[in-house]
Amino acid sequence: MTDKITIRTDGLTKHYGDVEALVDLDLDVLSGEIFGFLGPNGAGKTTTIRTILDEIRPTSGSASILGMDSHREAVEIRRHIGYVPGDLAMYPNLTGRDTLTYFANLRGGVDWGHVDELAERLDADLTKKVGDLSSGNRQKVGLIQAFMNRPEVLVMDEPSSGLDPLVQREFQTMMREVAAAGSTVFLSSHTLSEVQRVANRVGIIRHGHLIAVEAVASLRSKAIRKVDLYFDSPAEQAVFESVEGVRDVAVENHHVSMSFDGHMETLLKAVSGRYTLVDITTQEADLEEIFLTYYRDEGVTA
Amino acid sequence: MLATVVTKTVRDRWKGMAIAGISLAVMLLFGMAVYRDIDLAVYSDLPEAFRSLVNIPKDADVGSLAYGAIYSTYGALTLASLALSMGSASIAGEERNGTLGLLLGNPKSRTHVLVSKATSLVALTALGSLLLWGAGYLAPAVLNVEVGGMHIGALILHMFLIAVFHGFLAMAIGAWTGKAGLASGITAAVMIISLFAVGLLPLVEGLESGAKAFPWYYYEGSSPVLNGVSWGHLAVLFAAIAVLGAVAVAGVNRRDLRDRATGVNLLDRLRSHPMTKKIVDRLAGSMRVSRIWIKTASEHQGLLIGTAYVMFLMMGVMLGPFFNLIKDTLATFTDALPEAVMALVGNGDMGTPEGWYQVETFGMMVPIAFMLVTVAIGARALAGEEERRTMGLLLANPITRRRVVLEKAFAMVVYAVAVAVATFSGVALGSVIGRLGMSMGNIAAATLLGMLVGLVFGALSLALSAATGRSRIAIYSTIGAALTFYILNAFLPLSDSVAGLARWSPFYYYLTSDPLNTGMHWGHGAILLTLAVALVALSVVLFQRRDLRQTG
Repeated sequence: MTDKITIRTDGLTKHYGDVEALVDLDLDVLSGEIFGFLGPNGAGKTTTIRTILDEIRPTSGSASILGMDSHREAVEIRRHIGYVPGDLAMYPNLTGRDTLTYFANLRGGVDWGHVDELAERLDADLTKKVGDLSSGNRQKVGLIQAFMNRPEVLVMDEPSSGLDPLVQREFQTMMREVAAAGSTVFLSSHTLSEVQRVANRVGIIRHGHLIAVEAVASLRSKAIRKVDLYFDSPAEQAVFESVEGVRDVAVENHHVSMSFDGHMETLLKAVSGRYTLVDITTQEADLEEIFLTYYRDEGVTA
Repeated sequence: MLATVVTKTVRDRWKGMAIAGISLAVMLLFGMAVYRDIDLAVYSDLPEAFRSLVNIPKDADVGSLAYGAIYSTYGALTLASLALSMGSASIAGEERNGTLGLLLGNPKSRTHVLVSKATSLVALTALGSLLLWGAGYLAPAVLNVEVGGMHIGALILHMFLIAVFHGFLAMAIGAWTGKAGLASGITAAVMIISLFAVGLLPLVEGLESGAKAFPWYYYEGSSPVLNGVSWGHLAVLFAAIAVLGAVAVAGVNRRDLRDRATGVNLLDRLRSHPMTKKIVDRLAGSMRVSRIWIKTASEHQGLLIGTAYVMFLMMGVMLGPFFNLIKDTLATFTDALPEAVMALVGNGDMGTPEGWYQVETFGMMVPIAFMLVTVAIGARALAGEEERRTMGLLLANPITRRRVVLEKAFAMVVYAVAVAVATFSGVALGSVIGRLGMSMGNIAAATLLGMLVGLVFGALSLALSAATGRSRIAIYSTIGAALTFYILNAFLPLSDSVAGLARWSPFYYYLTSDPLNTGMHWGHGAILLTLAVALVALSVVLFQRRDLRQTG
């Protein structure tokens, strides 16, 4: 990863009538990084992507990709990008291979060896008509379409929807590989876990406002977990409430459950020696919970 | 649930019906206003056979002329077409969209869904009929025209039933096969063929009663506007509707529902056959996707083949020999025909082959055929890709929006040329087979002007599609504009005081110069071409400025 900026938005704003879909968005995505763009449904992720790709035009502000203006130099930009739209739709009457040929013709050529390799990795069937494919298999064709030109910038809106876990993992590997080779990946998602697995940095958007940009590592340390501890003897509530980062403690005989957003080490230190730990389970809180906890003030004031 | 499905369908569709009803009402008003201005004495001597062909009743007065021209033909065609589109959408359309499964996920039977769809079809057709019925009383009152002796209610009742009949026919085919395109195609063919059969068969000796085999006969065979309700004919229509309803119920219950369908066309079949695979793979596969315009053109093959077939065979080749069959009957009209009447049917002198083809083929069918293909492509070219959410993907490629518009427009031109070739060769062949001796150059000229008119309206729909991203708006507005301009051009010249205004209609530059007799009018051709090019240029500008829609 270098410090060169690949995607930049500058006060990017989009209104639909009275609705402010995007408000004053300033964002820098660096070359060679995988940037996760996180937000609940309707937060403005798709609007951002559609604006920087010149599908729609900003009410004010501007965006650039690879130093080129997203509107004036839109055609040149598209030589360097691969794109997977959200809620992907393709031509139902074309086979996967026809579809890829069509886009390859519009781009001026493609390396079919690479396409076949991608198809094999994702286990995609390119001989069937797209309309006859299940949504997951259709999504694979969309992914190949985005990767096949070895683009410098990949812009993907909820790209793993419909994919089974095995293919999702392969897709994540593909993203890491292209990033390692110097490409930039802009990945919009509402699934925290997916973004955490691949992204270097994460931007969080809510109600059209970019409310935080964080390295994934620091987000993870902020992440609330739901922790369940099981002991061989009954526990006391007070022991846990004093630990930093612990909230909503509920004690039920041998079983203690709580919300926790500190370092696991602190919690374990507090109980060790006092009780014998039989089992421990932790669950990631969902994204919405993190938003509510950490970004309530910043996000909702607008 | 029944009420819910009915309400939703009505809510989705009432606008189309209201627009159609209101534009027909406006046309009626307009037609009457013009007719009031002209000397009606000329109609009294018309031969009866001719009057029946063009729907001018015997004791013609202003009211009956307007009804004859507008209601019996345009009104019924419009109302029946709307019913047809509802019918084919009712079951098969929901299957195509993949929403029927969802609908049937509710605890109601297929029969239930079908019945509620049928109910809304009948209700909406009734709404359209009511609008026309109201206008039938309003227009004469506003213009202070005497329409005594006219059976408006009877005409509307007949029209209502013929429309419902076509709607149910489409619904039954759709329910039986699950193919919406097939349902509307067959039903439209039945409608057009029977319209012509009922108009022409009575003129052929020995075939007079053949008309009774066609549904349209039970609509206007008894001239309900003059003679009142023919209960016998209504009973036939009613029985046919009941049978079709039962067929639809049986059809939808007997078969597997189709998945969100991808059509299998001829090319696909050939492609899967080992013997033809290699060559067809090239055609259907790599060549089809080599350019945007080729891909666009490949999407409406069925429509093009159907249109070209009808124009070549039915409107072209067959009419040549047919002219010889009935030319004696037609010849007796010629002297008696006043100029004003001819305007109504395309200004052709029916006693000559040129006039015959003008009235039967070029007057109405040629513009309709060209507009079918150009508007189908024009309206869906941009809006269709946006509605199906593929435009974002297409424009993610390094191509300009201008190129997309121009390639789509080019596909439209290719289709228009194909229809032109079919029309020209059909009429030319008809003339040769029937030894009619028409000028090939003149046939080409009339075809070319017709193609240009078609392209003007195709380009209009392209511009509307580019401006709004909504193909329905593009289609309905273009049809509305075309109908209005057609009627303007037909009626305005009948009244000296407003004849000049006809120049504002694109149709004026199509047949006014009488190309079948006088050859190409390059000036008129240039005007149409300029108009079409300007509209395409406008489409480019409009599409470049706009946010792409996000649907679904």
